[in-house]
Amino acid sequence: MYGFGLAKGLMVTLKNFIRPPFTIQYPEERIPQHPRFRGEEFAWYEERCTGCASCAKYCPLGIIKIVTSEGGRSPQEGGHYDIDVFDIDIGRCMFCGLCVEACPYDALFMGSGFERGRYERQDLVITVDELREAVKKPSTWFRPQLEDSGYDPHKDSALDWRAVGREKWEWHQREKAGARIKFRPARVGDKTQEGDGEARS
Amino acid sequence: MLFQDLIFWALAAVAVVGALGVVLLRDVFRSALLLVLVFLTVAGLFFFLAAEFLGIVQVLIYAGAISILIIFAIMLTQNVQEGNLPNGLQFAAVLLPALLLVALAFVAFDTDWRLIADLPAVGGTAVEDAAFRDNTFTLSKLLLENYALAFGAAGTLLLASIIGALSLVRER
Amino acid sequence: MTPFLQENVVFREVYCFLGGNEGNASWCGGDGLLPGGFEWAAYFAAGFVIMFILVNAALLGAAVFVWSERRLLARFQARRGPNRWGPWGIFQPIADLLKLIIKEDIVPNAADRLAFTLVPIIMLMALLLSLAVMPFARNTYLVNLNVGILYIIAVSSMSTIAIFMAGWSSANKYAMFGAMRGVAMLISYEIPLVLSLVGVVLIVGSMSLVSVVEAQTVPFLLVQPLGALVFMLGISAELNRTPFDILEAESEIIAGYHTEYSGIKFALIQAAEMAGVLAASGFLATIFMGGWSGPFWSGQLGAFWFLVKLAGFVMLFIWIRATFPRLRIDQIMAFAWKFLLPLALINFLVTAVQVYFFGFYQGDVPGELTRNELWIMAAINIPVALIAIGIFGRFSREKVRVPEPVFQNIAPSPRTMEVD
Repeated sequence: MYGFGLAKGLMVTLKNFIRPPFTIQYPEERIPQHPRFRGEEFAWYEERCTGCASCAKYCPLGIIKIVTSEGGRSPQEGGHYDIDVFDIDIGRCMFCGLCVEACPYDALFMGSGFERGRYERQDLVITVDELREAVKKPSTWFRPQLEDSGYDPHKDSALDWRAVGREKWEWHQREKAGARIKFRPARVGDKTQEGDGEARS
Repeated sequence: MLFQDLIFWALAAVAVVGALGVVLLRDVFRSALLLVLVFLTVAGLFFFLAAEFLGIVQVLIYAGAISILIIFAIMLTQNVQEGNLPNGLQFAAVLLPALLLVALAFVAFDTDWRLIADLPAVGGTAVEDAAFRDNTFTLSKLLLENYALAFGAAGTLLLASIIGALSLVRER
Repeated sequence: MTPFLQENVVFREVYCFLGGNEGNASWCGGDGLLPGGFEWAAYFAAGFVIMFILVNAALLGAAVFVWSERRLLARFQARRGPNRWGPWGIFQPIADLLKLIIKEDIVPNAADRLAFTLVPIIMLMALLLSLAVMPFARNTYLVNLNVGILYIIAVSSMSTIAIFMAGWSSANKYAMFGAMRGVAMLISYEIPLVLSLVGVVLIVGSMSLVSVVEAQTVPFLLVQPLGALVFMLGISAELNRTPFDILEAESEIIAGYHTEYSGIKFALIQAAEMAGVLAASGFLATIFMGGWSGPFWSGQLGAFWFLVKLAGFVMLFIWIRATFPRLRIDQIMAFAWKFLLPLALINFLVTAVQVYFFGFYQGDVPGELTRNELWIMAAINIPVALIAIGIFGRFSREKVRVPEPVFQNIAPSPRTMEVD
């Protein structure tokens, strides 16, 4: 009969009316994020970084700026580059993650956050100090070793530089990437110093 | 009674000024809007004569429908922005309203006007009193009993004109 | 003073408090505050108090309606709706209104300034005038006009002119499109709207809304199912709500007739539209659901019953809005002329025969239909309504011609198909 279609339509909306709403009240409740989420704050481990600037070279937008200076000693003696500037302009970043893919020493990781609203463009630049002092919860994106260990940056605690590499920690006692850490000057609040001392002997 | 007189004169003045505006304004659209205003004030005057049915019908049909049709006709007119252009019909335009005015004046002076507030003072017949108290009922009785033929004839005329209009504009 | 306002509770209280029974108002208990000869001031004050209450109630009701519509519409779409300011976001309309007031009031250069400014005023005026005859509870109404049913339709038809004025004076082609479409639709829907109420008028024997309420021993929704259906659909077209909102179709003609309006003018137009839904629900509740009469204590709880019924109809309007998509202009016109108008006429005819059969107009004085007679009428009218809807639904079903497909050999295709 005429009008049954209308009644059916009304019933559809009524069914939706009874259903709980899909809306997620964002500041109070959040959607669970995937561990591979490519977030805005980068996790950078200075201990692993050689200052090769591969990330800066691979960045399609050219928004990573790295300035290094020589440490004074030759590489054979365990000398390394000091990293003076490591600026990432998040305002122009498109989160492709090529910098992370390019890093040969697993020093740079995507972050896990997504809330970086600022009033000024200048505030969107992540500086080297910010990178050093950040709580490092690396995303497991392009880092199968983190994926294998079942790490979830949204639930688990921050990771130490020794835990994030694709190789065992003992490997660093022989190779160069770990060597540079032995002569790194101590910094306040640096928890990794005792371990370094053991590694040197 | 002062209050009612005041409202009556205000309505009458608005009606007359509005009607003058309808005729004298160059902007056709505005004069159509003023025509609506005149219809509304005339409806108010009907209310004052305790003829609320007529007043409501005036609002419903004239202000609500006829004026819309007039505005529609204006919309379909070419060169609305130029306004009312003078043409050779001045004589007819004076003669017809003058005849209408004479007829209306005759009716106005011939009719025994009474306001609803004066009713107890004026001793009318039972039918007249009923007409003042519930004029919808009386009007329907008059239309459907005493003047049933005229009512039916008017209805037939309207129907015929509607059918004629439809057959004129029908696509072949 | 004129006799018809003395039945109003608020008017009587204020008038007697100020004026007392000096002059010819002999129905007051005692002497009032003002000296003799000043009862016109009391009359003014009493009228002003009523208007103040009514206008504010209408606008506040519109605000509450905006909120509840947004909330309910959101729930129908499995969202939450505004829930930020105040408990359940109830202060959201205040925020909206503040925003609209702060905004710049723009009048286009080419606009007809006077007509453009008058539009919101006329729209709100038409709405507020229609509230004058609504009985909110027992003895709580402004006027017991004995042409009340015609009055509400006549007054609400004034908004048609306002819409046309808006379309013309904006000097905007989208506004003009909206106004043209809308006026064509509104004029067509007025006819079934008026005819749908004739049955009610025949049963009651009066057009006063107060006597309509008093005569409803059985809700007229059951006695006049066709009339109620046609009135409901017609009034939702008059309110420009979603299945019939071709005159402000956002996806087609920016905002239709109020494209050029901003700021407080837009707020007034919106308030008139929203309060219009409330008024329409109120009239539906009054005419077809018995207004302030309830299952018990309809004298004391009259306003409560009225509000409950009004809320039910408001809910129905929101539900309809949430469900149905916008119709095309030719579908809307065909719906009015081929479906609603015949239904209204059938309703008129059937009711007239029934009223005649039950011996209503014996002599000059209209009688009253008893409760049993009304139940018999309901028992006849409901099947009649179903049959008539079935028949005319079939008649007005649209035949869509599907154009010839190019590759006829690939798949067989029907020449015509039926569309609901």
